[in-house]
Amino acid sequence: MAKPFARVLLELADADPRVCAVSCDCRGFIAPLAEQFPQRAIEIGIAEQNLIGIAAGLAVRGKIPFAIGMNPFVTMRCFEQVRTDLGYGARNVKVIGAYGGGVVYGGWGCTHHAIEEMALMRLIPTMTVVMPADAWETEQAVRAAAIREGPFYISLARGAAVVEQPEEARSFELGKAVLLREGDAATIIGVGPTVADALRAGDLLESQGIAARILEMHTVKPIDREAILRAAEETPVIVTIEEHTVIGGLGGAVAEVLAEAGAGTPLKRIGLQDVFAVMSGSQQDLKSRYGITAEAVVKEILHPSGAGAHHKDTKNTKLRGVP
Amino acid sequence: MCGVPGQQNRNELIAELEEKARRIRVLVVKMAGMSDCHTGGALSMADILAVLYFRILTLDPRNPQWSGRDYFILSKGHCVPSLDAALAMRGFFPEETLTTHLERDSMISGHACARLTPGIDVSTGSLGHGLSIGVGCALGIKMDREPNRVFVVLGDGELQEGSNWEAVMAAAHHRLDNLVAIVDRNWYQTGATEEMMRLEPLADKWASFGWSVLTIDGHDVAAIVDTLESVPFEQGRPSVVIANTVKGKGVSFIETRHMARFDEAQLRAALHELGA
Ligand SMILES: Cc1ncc(C[n+]2csc(CCOP(=O)(O)OP(=O)(O)O)c2C)c(N)n1
Ligand SMILES: [Mg+2]
Repeated sequence: MAKPFARVLLELADADPRVCAVSCDCRGFIAPLAEQFPQRAIEIGIAEQNLIGIAAGLAVRGKIPFAIGMNPFVTMRCFEQVRTDLGYGARNVKVIGAYGGGVVYGGWGCTHHAIEEMALMRLIPTMTVVMPADAWETEQAVRAAAIREGPFYISLARGAAVVEQPEEARSFELGKAVLLREGDAATIIGVGPTVADALRAGDLLESQGIAARILEMHTVKPIDREAILRAAEETPVIVTIEEHTVIGGLGGAVAEVLAEAGAGTPLKRIGLQDVFAVMSGSQQDLKSRYGITAEAVVKEILHPSGAGAHHKDTKNTKLRGVP
Repeated sequence: MCGVPGQQNRNELIAELEEKARRIRVLVVKMAGMSDCHTGGALSMADILAVLYFRILTLDPRNPQWSGRDYFILSKGHCVPSLDAALAMRGFFPEETLTTHLERDSMISGHACARLTPGIDVSTGSLGHGLSIGVGCALGIKMDREPNRVFVVLGDGELQEGSNWEAVMAAAHHRLDNLVAIVDRNWYQTGATEEMMRLEPLADKWASFGWSVLTIDGHDVAAIVDTLESVPFEQGRPSVVIANTVKGKGVSFIETRHMARFDEAQLRAALHELGA
């Protein structure tokens, strides 16, 4: 997503002289800005802690800096700087996870898997956390970040999920889930790249005559409570899917909403089940080994596992008679 | 390991190590012919690895966890292909394993992975971790009053991470003369290092933190041998070698490049340059 990001960054900088960028060896993301406004495109080398500190300082001076580093490193190496200097400091800094989260790095190893980024960023008071699914949404998210006052995290995907809506029919509103398909037999909630898996799970179910509701939760914080609670009311089971630990990310956030509202609707969180994805292979290899697939979603809906499975089975009348 | 060799033996040794380095490069180039690869930084440290793995490090490939071993930490974990090649050549696993780079269930990984690859002690890939781990390991060895040594190879761009300088300070403070840092000074990260964030005067930085510093040509095998055979350079101080290298060394058409994957024609040309 370097291209759409860089394009919108330049557009924003053109319109507002306060907009600037700091890069942690992510030149591709600031190249167009650097060409037009060299002073407002600052390369600081491989140094995430310094990156966030410098961005905080620019914000002290009234600038609107975008601080760009690779997803796992910009959320973990400098977590305290983000938490304290941006969160506690209430700084208007936009942190950008570049090059992709989840296990997009596949066999390049766990150091490069960003499987905690949503959880970590969500922990920080006032932080907005967004994971766009494709180029169009990336552009909207970057524009929204510039307008919204306060710290903001965007996890940029590498590659794009196919959202299958014509652009003119699409809308992007911070904190509002996108209803991709209507259905009442189950709700599947995806985020970022796993929107593609959610849609494919929907296809697999549809081929069995089952209509699942599909929600895209691009804003993980503040999360769309209303959409989640409506799903809890109108569909008998909710399945979240994320390339992320199930602790504290999308699944965690949905669980919190359901539990606090006293919704009894069963929830299954598809994602990394408190493990590292330690294996060589492609992103797809890792996802299938660790059960982050459309098939896993379908299985949870048709043949639920774990605690509450029985309850779920009997409650889900829409699935009666399905083998 | 060996006694002091005569001049002729010495020349033979250097020639042998040069051949090992060439072989490491050939294996890396073949990996880059099959998959994406951080080829530039893997090639720039090939001579250093050849000397370490075939002359300097005390190791037992049949028992990678042997407590008498010298420890090697590749802090710039993205350059693991040349380490994999050296480990295979040294007998830690079969050379055919190298043909599985990035494939499903391979024993080797895109970044150094201790949990998959025998002979690798520390998983790296996030830059700026290796030297602190090296300091801890060297402290542990001192606690045990043992003679093992710790060698850490760092990238130059990597030195922009502040954590390194915390480790540099700690190593000198604790007088860790069993710790050796080697900077693969190839002058590039994803772009030119001095343009992105200046490191010079680099040797002065290390020296002012209390390290004993030697700057060498990192492709001069004889110089690497002489230097690494003389560690610690001073009693009571950690040693650092600033090895001036060329990113992509050995394959002229990828010099200074960070990542490079070869198509068939490029692979042939690269192997030809390496005399293979
Ligand atoms: C903490 C961290 N930030 C960013 C990266 C992304 N990255 C991987 S390699 C690299 C450049 C490294 O340059 P250098 O240390 O000079 O290594 P070499 O030239 O030997 O390849 C960068 C920025 C990373 N791996 N870890
Ligand atoms: Mg370098």
